[in-house]
Amino acid sequence: MTGAIGKPTPYIDAVQKVTGQAMYADDYKFPNMVYVSCLRSTESHAKIKSLELKKAEASPGVIAIVTGKDIPVPFGVLSISRDETAMAIEKVRYQGEIVAAVAAETIEAAEAGVKLINVEYEPLTEFFTPQDSLKTCTPDEQIHAHTKDHKNIHKTAELRFNEPEKELETAKHKQTGEFKFAGVTHGFTEPHSAVAMWNGDETLTIISATQVPHYLQKNLSKVLGLPLHKIQVKKPVLGGGFGGKSDPFPHEMIVSFLSKKIKRPVKCTFSREEVFITHHGRHPTEINMSLSCDAGGKITALDADIIIDGGAYGSFGVVTSYYNGVLLQGPYEINKFGFRTRRTYTNKHQCGAMRGHGAVNPRYAVETLLDMMAHNMKMDPCDLREKNFLSEHSSTVGEFRITSNGIRDCIAAVRKKSDWDSRYGKLPYGHGLGVACGFFISGSALPILWNRYPQTVVHAKLDFDGRIVMFSGASEIGQGSDTLLVQIAAEELGIPMDFVQVEVADTKTTPVDLGSYSSRVTFMVGNAAKTAASNIRNEMVKAISKEKDTTAESLIFRNGRIFTKDKSLDITWEEGVEMAMAGRGAFVESGFYISPKLGGNFKGAGAGLSPSYSFGAFISEVEVNPKTGETNVIKVWGAHDCGKALNPLAVEGQIEGSIHMGLGQTMSEEMRYKNGQQLNANFFDYRIPSSLDTPDMDVTIIESNDPEGPYGAKEAGEGPIHPVLPSIGNAVFDAVGVRMMELPITPDKVLKKIKENV
Amino acid sequence: MEKVTLTVNGFTQSVLVESHETILDTLRNRLNLTGTKKCCDEGTCGSCTILMDGKPVLGCLTPTLRCVGKEILTIEGISSGESLHLVQKHLVKSLGLQCGFCTPGVVMTAIPFLEENPHASRNEIKESLSGNLCRCTGYKKIIDAVENAAEEMRS
Amino acid sequence: MEYYHSPDSIKDALSMAREFDGNFIYFAGGTDVQIYRKQKLEKNEHIIDLKSIQDLNSISMKDEVLSLGAMTPLDDIIKSKEIQNYFPLLMEAAKSVATPVIRKTATIGGNLLVRNRCTFYNQSQEWRNGVGSCLRDVGDICQVTGGNNDCYSRNVSDTAAALIALNAEITLINSNEMTQKPLKDIYLPCGIKFHDLDNKNILTQIHVPFRPKKWWYKKLRVRKTLDFTSLTIAATVDNDDMARICLNGVSMAPILIEESLDTLTIESLIKQARKNCKTVDNDLMPLKYRREMINVFLEEWWEYEHHK
Repeated sequence: MTGAIGKPTPYIDAVQKVTGQAMYADDYKFPNMVYVSCLRSTESHAKIKSLELKKAEASPGVIAIVTGKDIPVPFGVLSISRDETAMAIEKVRYQGEIVAAVAAETIEAAEAGVKLINVEYEPLTEFFTPQDSLKTCTPDEQIHAHTKDHKNIHKTAELRFNEPEKELETAKHKQTGEFKFAGVTHGFTEPHSAVAMWNGDETLTIISATQVPHYLQKNLSKVLGLPLHKIQVKKPVLGGGFGGKSDPFPHEMIVSFLSKKIKRPVKCTFSREEVFITHHGRHPTEINMSLSCDAGGKITALDADIIIDGGAYGSFGVVTSYYNGVLLQGPYEINKFGFRTRRTYTNKHQCGAMRGHGAVNPRYAVETLLDMMAHNMKMDPCDLREKNFLSEHSSTVGEFRITSNGIRDCIAAVRKKSDWDSRYGKLPYGHGLGVACGFFISGSALPILWNRYPQTVVHAKLDFDGRIVMFSGASEIGQGSDTLLVQIAAEELGIPMDFVQVEVADTKTTPVDLGSYSSRVTFMVGNAAKTAASNIRNEMVKAISKEKDTTAESLIFRNGRIFTKDKSLDITWEEGVEMAMAGRGAFVESGFYISPKLGGNFKGAGAGLSPSYSFGAFISEVEVNPKTGETNVIKVWGAHDCGKALNPLAVEGQIEGSIHMGLGQTMSEEMRYKNGQQLNANFFDYRIPSSLDTPDMDVTIIESNDPEGPYGAKEAGEGPIHPVLPSIGNAVFDAVGVRMMELPITPDKVLKKIKENV
Repeated sequence: MEKVTLTVNGFTQSVLVESHETILDTLRNRLNLTGTKKCCDEGTCGSCTILMDGKPVLGCLTPTLRCVGKEILTIEGISSGESLHLVQKHLVKSLGLQCGFCTPGVVMTAIPFLEENPHASRNEIKESLSGNLCRCTGYKKIIDAVENAAEEMRS
Repeated sequence: MEYYHSPDSIKDALSMAREFDGNFIYFAGGTDVQIYRKQKLEKNEHIIDLKSIQDLNSISMKDEVLSLGAMTPLDDIIKSKEIQNYFPLLMEAAKSVATPVIRKTATIGGNLLVRNRCTFYNQSQEWRNGVGSCLRDVGDICQVTGGNNDCYSRNVSDTAAALIALNAEITLINSNEMTQKPLKDIYLPCGIKFHDLDNKNILTQIHVPFRPKKWWYKKLRVRKTLDFTSLTIAATVDNDDMARICLNGVSMAPILIEESLDTLTIESLIKQARKNCKTVDNDLMPLKYRREMINVFLEEWWEYEHHK
């Protein structure tokens, strides 16, 4: 590689961001714009007996008020669980659900209007724990009418291969654990915000802080009854997502509906508390898991029974249910394998996808059981893991195709850098090291909504000015996808990056990309962009070789010049552009990506399929104060196999960010509820680690060069979070000899365990 | 509403504000200076940090009327028309930002800190940013950037 | 309606206070009170911002007595060489409050009078509407205890713990007179009316009369920044071996235990502390743990005092 790929590359939008010029959704203001404030339910589960709007309608500045009945079409990111409407109709299912929305000349007038709406509720039986939801109830008590057997179970996902339960029954070396994980939320810094405009040509434009413009377009079309071609979704600069902006949301439906109704631009921006209420974060999870090994430490079977607490609506929950199980098939070879996940509806904020989707909590369980196993069998936990790694170019029991796999290099790197072999198990009481591994999909091989199209298309446009514009639906959310598009074009065409610009995430002007979720962008958009740019090059080669009478193969594109090896031809990029455009003008070339056909032929075989998987191994070092139970994570060594680091700065940034987020879930973050009401819907009490709470980090990038990834690349945005949590938990064991089976690892829990242990 | 005279980024102008309004809302909604971000609106995240007479304050907790007669400097006033401030330059260079939403606050915290503490250690830099919540970077590259900026400022 | 006033003398501030007749609040730094206003927990119409009163912002040492203007920012206290050298306990306590940027606005006077907190009270109006009742807000049932008499909101001032352990006094000015009294005497064991200063008075000065022989400080919190305390203990021992141990964050008011080291035992210390602290489940850190930590912290201080 000669150009931009593989070099640490600052983001192309970084200058805009450090100068305050970057426009996020709430920064957009349009003439005649109105503001929306939402009335939210004070009940967790109740019938709406009456809704009195008269006073609010008469309030100064109020222009329109809408309620659930005005926008009754259900939506949801998955077509199999479209169970939500823009606002509650007839009944509310969680505290904070939107009941009405007021549009007014100013936000103050809208808020004043909201206060004048009177709602009368008739309480229904509330379900706050999954245990309650698993029980039979009366039809009237059901949170959703569509659930089976009068239980509030949303989804049961189950797969079994080769009877793991039989093996576990008789296994000599077996570890079982009951694990419990609190719900956590994304904590992105930019609150949700959307502004919709009904245009004079009867089309809708919505600028929204979304990770999934395409799915928003589709859902808006359904909900508004508007043809797809009349909807333009634009994603502005986005202030973080982590999965929390990867669903279509009620407020997006509300502003769109209102702008169509009142023919004015309509904006809605959430308060931080509303962001917490909207949630869609990681499910509270209970896992009962068993793992067995043979005498040599080879894993023989794994079985897990998992309950995830979905909250009031479906979101990505069906996928989450599967991911909790299927993503345990790696990085270890496990041939007898099974799981059952039940996702319950409860009367709380809904859960959905969050960084590391579905696999973070069960990963903690597996890695903890492995650590227990190693301890029990008097084996080094790294050695035990090394005995079990899947090989490159292999297959898992559930028929995941494994291509490149750098897990052995990962564990070797952190083992060496942390001085594991001379320090593990030998540190003084209160001080410990722990290891864990992980793996993750590099893009879901299947689209969320079945179709015959590619998962992404990228157009590259060349014009007389010599500029390449990359048109892509990919959603930059801070992970660096815009910069990636530029790097790839620069690499393919041998031009400086400043010749390349992007036009992105606009459903009117850019070809479809499914969105920034499931760690798919680098792999899929990267491949498509590479093809698009290299097709531009092919066109240029054709024209130049014809005009200059050289062979196509002899042309080299490098450093902004196009030349032959012997320099008999040596022209500037601009000269080459002119030759290519002669007689035809500006042109566009495309590239696309479709995942190969993968997987088995059983029900559920599609879950977790990916064209490639990332791998990683992390070691954490902790200090535990045995008197207070306070745990301090001192340092984390992380090695992640991303195939090939197209932008090493961005890859490091993803790994470091994963360490931070993993640390938060392990140590201090927790969605706390009492009677369905969140106790800590603010950044005071929902405790995201600060700079002082985040440990030293040592990041190693492992490059296994994936055969199908662009330049060998795989994902790096989500995989690195999985090993973080269990590596800390296992380090606590090394430090003070107690097993933390519940997250977060708060001091009170550690202290209780230490006391029980004495 | 009250008519007040504010000096923001060196420019003095009159503006109508509510008497309870915070300078964050005035900047964003009335002066169209949207570089200062509203993230938590309750003093916990540092995203709305601005300078008042050279001192960092949180925009969401500062009454606009308290800013009358003071020099307000926002992110827009840091490098307008000039080259980037060294803190900005190094945040770009070291990737001390991802989504960028906390970045204006980080810049407005780090600049006065380095002016006051040109020889700050890495730990002191880390401490100085402990009121700036970042969800993307894990802080490492932000601290790297501020450290590098300090070094270049000293040389 | 809301009105903002910025008097530049104490006299003007007091005359405004008389004029608005209770329908006002004072702003010191305002970093805490602003949030109460946003959450509609503070509904008085007038703000009297004391920020412009210059002579309330000062740090001075005279005859070994440290005097602090009530409007001195916490950051100035942390950076004062005199305080670093002679009153490191106060510096530690100030440094444990909020975040570096907030400490540039937040003042020592404001922190001493920081409002008591409770998980079920310090919430948005919409949130509180969902609960429906709070003795300190609307309704007659406490969400924490289920009772209908006493509010147990916690005093969370870290600097109060330090300054009480340092035997500090405060100066109050009202239109007629200047009074001086021990800081510890202003706090009341009530979550709602947590101090006895009526708003016709302005807290102007804090005086720290003595430099302890030894001091100790510890704050229990989840993160190393920002968090309000779940338990703060500040302790001093003077030249006569008199120990002053002040606990805060675990009761409606700071709890001071004063006893000579000659007679004090760790058992009696813990017993007194546990008896005097009306600790209830109004913080996100579990109640049992916070109570347990009272013992652990006191034992740690005891060990420090006797083995170092």
